Amino acid sequence: MAEPVRSPPSPRLEMRMGHRRLIPFNVAIALPAQLTVLTVVLVPTAIVVWLSFTDWQPTQGIPWYQAEPVWFWNYYDLFHDARFVAAVLRTLLIVAVCVVVEFLLAMSLALLFLDDWPWRKIAISIIILPMMVVPVDAANAFFMLFNDRGPINYLISIIVGRQFEFAWLADPNWALLPIMLAEIWQWTPLMFLLVLTGLMNLPENQIRAAYVLGASRTRIVLRIMLPLLTPVIIIALLVRSVETFKIFDPVYILTRGGPGAATETISMFMYNGAFVYFRIGYIAAAALMILVVVAAICVNLSRPLKRHHR
Amino acid sequence: MSYRHSRRSFLTQAALGTAALTVAPSLVMSTRAARAAKLSLENVHVDAARRAKELADGKPVTLTILEPSGSLGNIKPIAEQWKAATGIDIQYVEVPLDQINQKVLLEAVSKSGSFDIALPASFGIPDLVTSGILVNLDELAEKYEPEAYQKDYLYTIANYYKGSLYGYETDGDAYVMFYLKDWLDDPEENKKFSDKHGYKLKVPDTWEELDAMMAFFHRPERGRFGGALYRTQYFIAWEWWVRFHAKGHYPFDDNMTPQINNEAGVKALEELIAASKFLYPGARSNGLFENFEAFGQGDKFCNIGWGGTQKFLNSDKSKVRGKLAFGPMPGGIVKGTLLKTPYFNWGWNYVVSSASKQPEIAYLFTLYACSPAMSTIAVRDVDGYFDPFRKAHYKDPQIIQNYSEPFLAVHEAAMRDSIPDLYLRGQGEYFDVLRVNLQAADVGEKKPKEALDEVASKWDTITRRMGKQSQVVQWRFIKSNYPEGIRNRLA
Repeated sequence: MAEPVRSPPSPRLEMRMGHRRLIPFNVAIALPAQLTVLTVVLVPTAIVVWLSFTDWQPTQGIPWYQAEPVWFWNYYDLFHDARFVAAVLRTLLIVAVCVVVEFLLAMSLALLFLDDWPWRKIAISIIILPMMVVPVDAANAFFMLFNDRGPINYLISIIVGRQFEFAWLADPNWALLPIMLAEIWQWTPLMFLLVLTGLMNLPENQIRAAYVLGASRTRIVLRIMLPLLTPVIIIALLVRSVETFKIFDPVYILTRGGPGAATETISMFMYNGAFVYFRIGYIAAAALMILVVVAAICVNLSRPLKRHHR
Repeated sequence: MSYRHSRRSFLTQAALGTAALTVAPSLVMSTRAARAAKLSLENVHVDAARRAKELADGKPVTLTILEPSGSLGNIKPIAEQWKAATGIDIQYVEVPLDQINQKVLLEAVSKSGSFDIALPASFGIPDLVTSGILVNLDELAEKYEPEAYQKDYLYTIANYYKGSLYGYETDGDAYVMFYLKDWLDDPEENKKFSDKHGYKLKVPDTWEELDAMMAFFHRPERGRFGGALYRTQYFIAWEWWVRFHAKGHYPFDDNMTPQINNEAGVKALEELIAASKFLYPGARSNGLFENFEAFGQGDKFCNIGWGGTQKFLNSDKSKVRGKLAFGPMPGGIVKGTLLKTPYFNWGWNYVVSSASKQPEIAYLFTLYACSPAMSTIAVRDVDGYFDPFRKAHYKDPQIIQNYSEPFLAVHEAAMRDSIPDLYLRGQGEYFDVLRVNLQAADVGEKKPKEALDEVASKWDTITRRMGKQSQVVQWRFIKSNYPEGIRNRLA
């Protein structure tokens, strides 16, 4: 007698251990990765959320999980902390200035480098060098440049024809300038690479057609290239905005947030809060608030991307 | 929140705290003198090594020291002798000097046992104590510390928190003033100055005199500057701290109400701001080592510094070697007489980690390292941080050569009479608020009174958050350890 025909194996692969079915196979292979992600992302986030509701400091001598809750007081205090609010606004100013300048410079350079010309590749290599420098070293270079007896003052002395000694880093009205210049110098190359890559991948037919139909170069750039480049530009702006929001190295090296708190950015504020004041709970609350702000900025900036995608 | 307490409990605890701490300093130091000493002072390093060897009992033991980068030259020579004497190996973990307290504090959270001994900056000891990472050394000291071990120490308050021993100071970081001797002795300059001010150029006794001399010598058009005093954020507060104390006030009253925004505080800040006009242009941006180099050029009348400053200025790298006059920190006239308030504001302190698996051996190493014989060897290192802190150090020929005799005379006196740093829990927070606001006032962003009012208000908040009763107890302990001659004159 022929054996009964067995039904073919289910398309859903299943994991068996002995004879007991535990979990579907597809779940089993995804689970370790998911658990890792959960552990790496969610657990610390949950801890930060918990800490933000406490006033825990390691100097209290109790473990963080035994900290006494203060609920929303940290958030209330942050809203009334003039130094925190000023740091957020200052950081937003730095983001706005740096990202816009970086974009304008990058766009101009990218258009210049779109056509092939001799030594182009070498020139590109030289242009992207700054972003390969360790940020602390770059900041140190700017510290030397803007020192009271540094090359910047020396150059100005030559131009104005008399001894010029100005403490750039100690003047509350000017100290942000060297910081922003350091940031722009180091990260314009990244923006340039992103924009150049985008430009090089634009469909050539439309541009050629416009050229044949007699459109000027400016018109081609404004009416065809820029709209087509929008997704790349948005991504570049997003990446740089988020990165610039976290600016730390130039501030730490050049001014440490001074004079007073005139150049204190949000990262510097958090560094001081966590590693000078040891106010971990308070800084956890600040970090979460900043996360919300940055997420909101990202969502708003990426809206055109969705429209473009549709 | 945790800092809400009833009035009754506050008064009770404050009274107990006061009573305990009125007698604490003498008690702390003299109970030790009264107990039976296990090790002898003359041979404490030999005895400590022997006891450590016995404790190790032939097993392979390694001690790990967390130390600020740049201090290896001080530690290594004695660690090598320790190994030769005990067979116990020493490993080093070096961290940037401005991050060592954070690293020790992180250990309080992780308890990884990654080091047995650490050398945090002394001003951070209270935070480290309350975090639970430091071993209370009272019992071990009771067992091993020789009777007069700390007797020839010139500054010991940083070793204690609320009367208990937590470490041994190993660096004499008292502030000293440096002046260009040639400028002070110049007869022509002397005549001009005395015609204007009615007294001759000299090592200034008061801040008023110093400020007058800085203004007199400040001739930037001729490449000469009044001074190289610090105006960067990290350092600015220390000068103000001395200026303020020299006007006869404590920073807090007995109940930790800030007094810094009183008339004296505002005046001290106004004077500091006025003096800024006579400093070299890099004063507001140059850090520690840039400051050494700038003053070493020989075109600035005066500077503030520590033993480390002198080791640099007394080296081949400096143009002012042998051309300096030294003085204590200037003082002020309080109730008709001169009050000087030298200031100890940094220092490195040997402490034992509570996560150490061999705290007793680690303690014996700290006792060994700070013994008169071994600490002299450590202080001899010309490139290291450790400056003289025991009387014996000032007689050592190598140390005299490194620092010069005139400097050591002033340094020893400054160490002996130093007012203590603010050894409170939250010191970093108290001082950061002060620094930020002083600098904001110095660059004209805030009015002096406004800046100090803000500091006072923030200090109140910090004190409440840290637990007022506990802070009051420690503050009274600190106050009781101000040198007697100064304590009696501060309000």
